[in-house]
Amino acid sequence: MKKSSLGVALAAAFAAAPAFAQATVDQKLQILQQEIDDLKAQARRSAAPAQQTSPYSLDYSSMLDRSSGLASGGTNIVGYGEVGYGKFRQSGNATADLQRFVFGFNHRFDERLTLHSEVEFEHAIVSKDDGGEAEIEQAWLNYKMSDAVNFKGGLFLIPIGILNETHEPPTYYGVMRNQVETRIIPTTWRELGAGVHGIVSEGIRYDVGITTNFDSGKLDDPTTGIRSAHQEGQLANARNLAVYGALNYRRPGLLVGGGVFTGDTGQNGASNPALQGVAARFTMWDVHAQYRIAGLDLQALYAAGTLGDADRITAATVAANLADPGVTAFAAPKSMKGAYVQAAYHVYKQGNFDVAPFVRYERIDIKQAEDPGNNLFQNPNNNERIKTLGVNFWVHPKVVVKADVERYATDKSQDRFELGLGFMF
Amino acid sequence: MNWRPRRSLALLMLALGAAAAGWVRGEVYQEPDAFVAEVFGTRPEPKVLWLTKDIQAQAAAILGHPPVQLRQRYWSDAHKSVWILEEIGKEELITAGFVVAEGHIDHVRVLVYRESRGQEVRYPSFLKQFKEAKLAQGDRLDREIDGVAGATLSVGAMERMARLALFFDRMSRQ
Repeated sequence: MKKSSLGVALAAAFAAAPAFAQATVDQKLQILQQEIDDLKAQARRSAAPAQQTSPYSLDYSSMLDRSSGLASGGTNIVGYGEVGYGKFRQSGNATADLQRFVFGFNHRFDERLTLHSEVEFEHAIVSKDDGGEAEIEQAWLNYKMSDAVNFKGGLFLIPIGILNETHEPPTYYGVMRNQVETRIIPTTWRELGAGVHGIVSEGIRYDVGITTNFDSGKLDDPTTGIRSAHQEGQLANARNLAVYGALNYRRPGLLVGGGVFTGDTGQNGASNPALQGVAARFTMWDVHAQYRIAGLDLQALYAAGTLGDADRITAATVAANLADPGVTAFAAPKSMKGAYVQAAYHVYKQGNFDVAPFVRYERIDIKQAEDPGNNLFQNPNNNERIKTLGVNFWVHPKVVVKADVERYATDKSQDRFELGLGFMF
Repeated sequence: MNWRPRRSLALLMLALGAAAAGWVRGEVYQEPDAFVAEVFGTRPEPKVLWLTKDIQAQAAAILGHPPVQLRQRYWSDAHKSVWILEEIGKEELITAGFVVAEGHIDHVRVLVYRESRGQEVRYPSFLKQFKEAKLAQGDRLDREIDGVAGATLSVGAMERMARLALFFDRMSRQ
């Protein structure tokens, strides 16, 4: 920056400040020097293509370059992660795991167009010999015409349930995500597609769209409902699409809402030829509520789904097993439902510290299309009740330490004690 | 569901119609100049609060990060002051106007909201919680602000700005 420019900047700074309060002349000179240094740094950075600035920041707050990066034309990084330790009661086995580390790049192209993305690494190491996964959790563009109307397109989260869209560890209770929103609603559930969303009046938010769907020919684990048929934007078979819709009402301390997702999943046998011409319609819906009052957090959710032609999907797994003995045949899920209620109470809150013990009761019921002729029966563990007692201890609003005990009524081998550490930024 | 171009086209037309209806609403709810003028009747000359090292340190404690501004412009008369502040919600800046009177929040308004989610913080049901709030021990608000599900970070940003406005008001009157 030229000296004359600095002079003008100094003059302008003083001219714009008719009332100098509090600071001494020395302090003001120090502040101005700091501001000049920042301006120099900004001038160096401006060798890159010019970025628009917020029309408000410079004028109102002397925010030198923050807005140039965030309000228009900038890219920022967000992320979250969690570490967990679990010790199983029956076996005595224990594991410690970096469950996930997620980072996302968000970019603003202009006043209305933005990109949102998240890249997830699970279980610390991704290699041929390890169990980790690297995946794109979200990558979608949003065109904001107004608060009421946003268009989105790409790989985005389906607005069913509470956790699927808001799943950063400091935002939920328990070391692990609850089982209903894992085995019934396959969180983190995302599809490729396009949608329209927005807020239409005080607190009422809608979200509707068309997306890819599950592929029932890819089902391989009936204990998690539809989850194992997910495609997650990876060369997704898209002969059959789905539509979804969600409506939520939010006020301070209150959330009431629900969503529905429906579409065929047969994909004309692209993954299993025995499903050619089979519709295998999948429909899932949920209703949920949160209420917070006087330190008490209450939450409840009910979700249910059906998978049509489940007997034919079971038969298709038998056919796949006959063609390749390495493929396991099983009784496909034909209906799935689950519900939970949860209560937490903030017993201690001081500064950033916040301690809240919680209890949660969950019920899961996945019905399978049995084939006795081929010895394919209902898995008894698909009817489960889970009690969780634990505590969240926020050491910062974005950093939480968690501990809990889970007790399973049917599959007692899953009884465990867990410790966790979660963060978001 | 099989792909049906006619149905998709109809849905697209419906969406575009809805978009056209909502086009004018925008994300700038009120120009900051208009907010200041509304508070005082006319727009008075701005004043400047210089952020000395001590003030910067206390502002950093409130925000959880160093303040990016070195001077804060504000408007005031004998009874009240107006502060236009900006803080990041989840990804982007929220611009809000705070009116402070006699050491407590008189009212708050979200002037510009840039993100595609979390706009619930701009509605009166949320903002009315700040009315009469003042600073308590540790420069915290003297009350709990109920959050909005799915807008946790925007709620946090609004709370931090309210604390900062009260703190700046106190500093401006010393």
